[in-house]
Amino acid sequence: MRASDLAEQIPTVTRETDALEAARLIAEHRLASLVVADGNGLPVAVIPGTQVLKLVVPRYVREDPALAHVYDEAGADEICAALRGRTVAALLDADDVRTLALPSVLPDDTLVEIAAVMVDRHSPVVVVRDREGRYSGAITFARTMAAIAAAAGEPVDGFHDGSDGTAA
Amino acid sequence: MSLQATLAIAVFVAAYIFIATERIPRVAASLGGAALMVVIGATGAEEAFFAEETGIDWNVIFLLLGMMIIVSVLRQTGLFEFLAIWAAKRARAEPFRVMVMLVLITALASALLDNVTTVLLVAPVTLLVCERLGINPIPYLLAEVMASNIGGTATLIGDPPNIIIASRANLSFNDFVVNLAPIVVILLVVYIGMCRVMFAKSFKYDAARAQRVMALHERDAITNPTLLWRSLLVLTLVLVGFVLHSALHVEPSIVAMLGAGVLVAVSRLTSDSYLADVEWETLVFFAGLFIMVGSLVNVGVIEQLGTAATDAVGDRYLLAATGLLFGSAVLSGVVDNIPYVATMSPLVAGLVAAGGGNPQANALWWALALGADLGGNATAVGASANVVVTGIAARNGHPISFWEFTKYGMIVTAVTVTLAWPYLWLRYYL
Repeated sequence: MRASDLAEQIPTVTRETDALEAARLIAEHRLASLVVADGNGLPVAVIPGTQVLKLVVPRYVREDPALAHVYDEAGADEICAALRGRTVAALLDADDVRTLALPSVLPDDTLVEIAAVMVDRHSPVVVVRDREGRYSGAITFARTMAAIAAAAGEPVDGFHDGSDGTAA
Repeated sequence: MSLQATLAIAVFVAAYIFIATERIPRVAASLGGAALMVVIGATGAEEAFFAEETGIDWNVIFLLLGMMIIVSVLRQTGLFEFLAIWAAKRARAEPFRVMVMLVLITALASALLDNVTTVLLVAPVTLLVCERLGINPIPYLLAEVMASNIGGTATLIGDPPNIIIASRANLSFNDFVVNLAPIVVILLVVYIGMCRVMFAKSFKYDAARAQRVMALHERDAITNPTLLWRSLLVLTLVLVGFVLHSALHVEPSIVAMLGAGVLVAVSRLTSDSYLADVEWETLVFFAGLFIMVGSLVNVGVIEQLGTAATDAVGDRYLLAATGLLFGSAVLSGVVDNIPYVATMSPLVAGLVAAGGGNPQANALWWALALGADLGGNATAVGASANVVVTGIAARNGHPISFWEFTKYGMIVTAVTVTLAWPYLWLRYYL
């Protein structure tokens, strides 16, 4: 399988996306990370899922995790409600949030090359671009693992590569 | 003056300017200066590493290292989070009473631990309490960091300048407590009154919001009670060791390192955990600083300055103490008080030695300590703890400008240093 067979269109957010909308997107699509697109809709960065949680956990609790234990249930719910009114930009601008520049692979790269880039860049998503920089889709960690399992003779339910022109 | 002495002064002044302006990291300035001192022949391996008078003061380095390790373990227990929330609840979440409790906790903790560590531990829980109360945390953070600098003045281990003074002057833990703790207690009482006036607009009480503080579960902050009790036991033994170190003929650095070793053994934490709060950069900074100052001693600069100072002072020790107190306060507000005290210590040692055991000459050490420690409150860069707190505040969306800090810092410094003068006068010079 090649990268072009695995590339698909994935849900993205922008800097201006409301944090609640981003949370809904992650939950509905069971995403492991949040892919941020630029003004033209092209993915430019990825925020790993655990980093997205920093939208909820106050900075002082992140700096002193023992404080997370002192809230009662109502207090914890209040903290979560603070998600309302915030945007993805708050994450992108926070100096303690690890945002990754989105790594790319070539359309004819193999599964090993795709996996190597993910490992090397600690990224759960790679984009597929040709040598001219034209974007043709993205490959998630889950889809890569499904492809690896299929290549090893253990097909995964619901996985279908796009080598016949239709991506699942 | 020899060419070598002139070169040594030039290297020292250049390094000092870099440290003060932070144009390059202070560790680089300190080590770079030390390296240049070696290059010009002002010091060598023997003088830098093995000479007590002209080399790295290992007592200071290892006392700091030991206390840093103890704090690394202690902070994993949740003790400070527990204490701060417990105190806020004891104050019934009334804002001024909360501030008083936090100020007292910070001052006491700063007397027993490093100031930077103390504010690192207290600031996050302060932000939480203020968020629950729906009030601006900036006055509370300012009140705490200034209380930290005042409280740290009281003991040998409370503030790094005191550690340097103790080592250079051969003063004991009890000497500091007996001579500085009384005035620190007075200053804290006055300071709390000042907080009431300076931050008068920050004490709006809201019963519903206060209830949100009363609902916090402070006991849940303590995640490892066994570690807490073990840490408290070792910390108590270390403090007893400090009190008895003169009688036992054991240096405070040995007490701290023994305490750190025992705590590491009984805590069963990984090295990542118990070394987490060790500020290696600070320790290396100190080492470079000691080599630079030792080089000035080697080439005779300190002796010449000491002679000039002794001639100028004569037996007018009250005048010298006044100059040291206020001069140190002003300079410590502008430059970090650690390099300042490291530089001044050999000079003051010369004055004290010339006094031949005169108690009025000995008291110059207390003038230096009070001036340098209290002067750290004057500006946002006067003490390391100030820098840490303004950083925490900014990261949490409550930036404190340099001038906002300085506005309050100048008032607090002026009042505390001015009050320290009659204390010195009445106690040592009347």
